[in-house]
Amino acid sequence: MQIQLSAVVPVPLRERILQRQSDIWNRDVTFQPGQFIKIKAPSGTGKTTLVHYLYHIRYDYTGTVSVNGKPWQSYDRDQLSAIRQQQVSVVFQDLRLFDQLTALENIELKRVMHPQPYYPQEKALEFAERLGVTHVLKQSGATLSYGERQRIAIIRALMQPFEWLMMDEPFSHLDDANADKAAKLIAEECTARKAGFILTDLDHDQRFDYTVSYLL
Amino acid sequence: MQFNQILKKIIHTGVGRGRFWMASIGLGIAMLLILVALQVHTNFNELLYGRRNQNERADYLVVNKKITNDMMGRPELTVFRPEELKDIAAQPFVEDFSVITAAQYNVRLEADQLGFSTLAFFESVPDNFIDVQTTDWKWQEGEQIVPIIVPRDFTNMFNFGFALGNNMPQFSEETIKTLSPGIVISQGMRTGRFMGRIVGFSDRISTVLVPQTFMDWANNIYGTGSAKAPSRVIIKTKDPSSTVLTTYLEEHKYITDEEKTKYSKIRGIVQIIVSAVGFFGLVLLMFALLVFSMFIQLVIESYRNEIRLLITLGASPGQLQRYLLKQFIPMYIVTGIIAFAAVTGLQWWASGQLAARNMFVSQWPGIMALVATVAILALVYTVNWLAVRKHIAEHT
Repeated sequence: MQIQLSAVVPVPLRERILQRQSDIWNRDVTFQPGQFIKIKAPSGTGKTTLVHYLYHIRYDYTGTVSVNGKPWQSYDRDQLSAIRQQQVSVVFQDLRLFDQLTALENIELKRVMHPQPYYPQEKALEFAERLGVTHVLKQSGATLSYGERQRIAIIRALMQPFEWLMMDEPFSHLDDANADKAAKLIAEECTARKAGFILTDLDHDQRFDYTVSYLL
Repeated sequence: MQFNQILKKIIHTGVGRGRFWMASIGLGIAMLLILVALQVHTNFNELLYGRRNQNERADYLVVNKKITNDMMGRPELTVFRPEELKDIAAQPFVEDFSVITAAQYNVRLEADQLGFSTLAFFESVPDNFIDVQTTDWKWQEGEQIVPIIVPRDFTNMFNFGFALGNNMPQFSEETIKTLSPGIVISQGMRTGRFMGRIVGFSDRISTVLVPQTFMDWANNIYGTGSAKAPSRVIIKTKDPSSTVLTTYLEEHKYITDEEKTKYSKIRGIVQIIVSAVGFFGLVLLMFALLVFSMFIQLVIESYRNEIRLLITLGASPGQLQRYLLKQFIPMYIVTGIIAFAAVTGLQWWASGQLAARNMFVSQWPGIMALVATVAILALVYTVNWLAVRKHIAEHT
């Protein structure tokens, strides 16, 4: 699955963006399948906005974001949900867990969303063990710390098949040790699926063997 | 864990449950009213047309135009024009139809045994319209004896009115049948003499009948030459109480034996009541559907953030629609079953009550009631499905 950006400019940030240099905005960029992509971006340059455009939950831009040669807008709602269940997964910066569910239920929600789950439940427990959140699995999403929520959100994203994983500052609430564990898990899971990822962050890092880095 | 089980923890359909219950009760009452209306209609039809309730398979009505003051002295206004006859024959309630042929000659009856003679008249109808079963009802050219059928009313009038009042003996029908009055038919100078023989008494046609063969022959020989237009017709109908029939007669200012059509009034009233009940049921059904739609909108609105997040995470609108419908549909099906069961109970009870009065209707609700139950449930499902789809689409 190939993702192409063609002269994409967010309407609200238009003035600011056109005044400065960017590797992404207002350019033609192609993300090839399987690439590990890092997008480094200072605050306020539209990092989260870009992830939302790539995941197609925000549409206030000029230019086109194309998936497999077709602009996002040409996919209907059912096609979009199929893509989100099978081909593209996401870790939002604001994590977006359901407070009314326990941590485990939040993970399960994504795992059983497709009638034929990609992984059995044991895999979820195994990932929770690896990221050190087993003890919070029974807790309500509302009572978790940011760091715990972030790890639950990562595990949730890994419960489905995907060709691309979008991550918006996925380690912002984790200490280095935990961030490294999470990165290792993500890299393994991407490799196992022959999938690529697009990761946005404020700073430079060495956690992954990035194929390409962009400055937003 | 199933997806729907997790959804149940996210989207509680308990919000506004009271309203949902009210709407369900409304739906139940609406269904009951509609089913009762349909069932009463079915029962009424069965009472009217059902084989078990049929005394006579068909009824005969003699129809003529109402003679008004304007028509007096203008006999051409009281006869049926050919297009009018055609129109009557074409009506759906007419199974068979014939004109009553009037004689075009003068008739005098002479009863020597009784010592009186009287002016009379003959009419004739095809044999299959006659209610008197006798082998004597035939006439061929050259025969001297002409069979006659007189209305039973005549003998009754004679026996209980005329004879008693005038100190004359009463006659049994058997005695009358033995009388052989002389018949003189004439037109101008031509005269013919026959022997009459009363072969039967008719309750159906109130006129003096002779066989059609005699009438045709006599009209030919003694007639004026120009055929008289018919002023009375006889129709065979399955259902003399049909409102269509009475309305038709009224519209054309025709009249007939009202005793036979009186049930049409009762039927008209029952139909109006049944229609009113059915209409009320439909209105109630519409309100129930409206409340259901509003309830669905309320549920979806109060969980719009959750629904948006579910869609964002990849849940398909179809999955959410199916989940939401699953929360409501069992209630509708239960409501439908209860309403149908209630109608079944009522029908069973009504059938017992009616049977005691020698009226027979089925112990079970008709197929119409079953079809209506399924149709209403299908309608409710469709409206719900559309509402769910519409409101979910607003958040995707």
